[in-house]
Amino acid sequence: MGAVIAAVRQQSGRPAITYRQAGDRYVLAEYGDAELDLRLNFFAVGVLTGLAEDPPPGFVEAAPGLRSILVRFDPAVANRDAVVEHLQAVHDRQPEVSALTLPGRRVELPIAFDDSATRQAVHRYATTIRADAPYTEGGSNIAYVVEQNGLAGAEELYAAILGTEWWAAFTGFAPGLPFLFPLSGSTLNVPKYNPTRAWTPEGAVGIGGPCVAVYPVDSPGSYQLFGRTLPIYDLLGRNRAFRDDPFLIRAGDRVRFTRVDEDDLLRARRRVLDDSYSYHVEDAPFAVADYVAWR
Amino acid sequence: MTLEILDPGVCTTVQDHPGRVGLQAKGIFPSGPADDLAFRLANVLVGNAPGLAALEIPAGRFSARAHFHGLVALCGADGCGPAVNDVPVPLWESVEVRPGDVLTCTAAKGPGFRLYLAVSGGIGVPDVLGSRALHTAGALGGLDGRALIRGDLLSVGDAAPGTRLRVPQALRPAYHRHWELEVLRGPHADPDFLTAEDWRDLVTLTWRVNLNSDRLAVLLNPHRFRWARPDGGVAGDHPSNVLDGSYPVGGVIVNGDVPTILGPDGATSGGFTVVATIVQAALWKVGQLRPGQDTVRFREVGLDQARSLAAHVEFPLDPRHLETL
Repeated sequence: MGAVIAAVRQQSGRPAITYRQAGDRYVLAEYGDAELDLRLNFFAVGVLTGLAEDPPPGFVEAAPGLRSILVRFDPAVANRDAVVEHLQAVHDRQPEVSALTLPGRRVELPIAFDDSATRQAVHRYATTIRADAPYTEGGSNIAYVVEQNGLAGAEELYAAILGTEWWAAFTGFAPGLPFLFPLSGSTLNVPKYNPTRAWTPEGAVGIGGPCVAVYPVDSPGSYQLFGRTLPIYDLLGRNRAFRDDPFLIRAGDRVRFTRVDEDDLLRARRRVLDDSYSYHVEDAPFAVADYVAWR
Repeated sequence: MTLEILDPGVCTTVQDHPGRVGLQAKGIFPSGPADDLAFRLANVLVGNAPGLAALEIPAGRFSARAHFHGLVALCGADGCGPAVNDVPVPLWESVEVRPGDVLTCTAAKGPGFRLYLAVSGGIGVPDVLGSRALHTAGALGGLDGRALIRGDLLSVGDAAPGTRLRVPQALRPAYHRHWELEVLRGPHADPDFLTAEDWRDLVTLTWRVNLNSDRLAVLLNPHRFRWARPDGGVAGDHPSNVLDGSYPVGGVIVNGDVPTILGPDGATSGGFTVVATIVQAALWKVGQLRPGQDTVRFREVGLDQARSLAAHVEFPLDPRHLETL
């Protein structure tokens, strides 16, 4: 009883698809080879839109990964073969990856680098979890990220973060946590914490491997922290940005960071709560052809 | 009409079934009862509609005072000495309570770990993103996004006490110290991730349930798998690493050397291989594993078998199959 249900070869600008069983209520569709190629994620995000328009029988929900989607169905309503057959029909209707235009948005977030809240998280980690970790030297993770990437100093790191447009590939791990990958610019890469950090402040921004994450709530974490931004999640909808959806960033959005000092950030964070701050979000469909042209 | 919490126990939470389904793409697992079977049976016993909220009481210790007239039912872990006004009452059947009555249970000796308390009319807490269930890691839902504390007053729905019911012994879920969990192979198993021997190890060895298990995850003892590949390629140095993907509820991930069963409040995605997935019919058992004490074995089943098991589990949930008292 193998785990692979079906495998469909790559064809005309679309990646190969491997359908894997994930228990009796899920099918995992994986795209292409195990490579960090964002075009596979663009395809996944495109398929999600296709599934929303034409859900398979017994469809419950679908969630993306970097190069896959996990589809949950109700086996009391539909059998798995029918679900896979329908998924394949949706895949067949997808345009070639290079011809995709995805309905994303541009989100601009202020960031304060090396701020006191993330330094506090590093300090707590060094005093209560691991004292001799190479990534806590100097009371922050920044020296480590700089060294691991052969940069001249912190300013070069900040320039790399600020000069990059970040692609929200998927939300996962914890409620509302977006995983951001560089569309252009950053070639940063850094090992994660080992062991995991028990506390990360809400709004902290960190990097693990090539991927940047913004922490939506105080939580454990393992990414190397380099700064803090605004809240990206608010169940109570205290700012109008969260009235319709408590999650600011969605898969398919593009994020840019702009530099502010910590006082300005803290002021903006307070203004978010009394709804006098306007988040910078604009609709901006994403044409994969443009991305391919930059590369 | 309220339920007053006198002793909240270890981490008692408000839950509903099937929880907050449909938000995995937002990073939220469904929450809901870790053992949905005992939870749903308790709701049926007090005459509640399936979606109503009830309490999940891990480890058993708990005490509350009723400020209502209605039915209550306790289902789940054995050996927790349930009593109303110090008079012992049975598990698996509804009991009438009147205002001022005090319901108590002591630390559960087992087998089984979690206890469910349903009250007729259900527990009233606000609906958050489509459910009343507490997501412990995300601090959302339940009462104010947290576990219960002493002095909490939980609102109880208005419902005239109906017929008392009892789950016949033959229909009660069987609890053990050594459990067998039915799984489907994969999504990341042999031959591409594990070796055939690794898979055989997974489904023949006895796995100990780690003390640090909770609603997020049940950790098992470390094991050196051989792995079918030297490393995770671009995803990482360890062969258990894969590029991040969404996880199924009940997925058995291998994090380095540690097999881990994902629970209802667990991480929705991550970069570890999911070597097997607990079938729907066996998920309830994961909620009854005693941390630091019980052991599990995995038994591979096929899709058809998984579906017949699921139908079997549903049988006692039909009130017509229960005894009227």
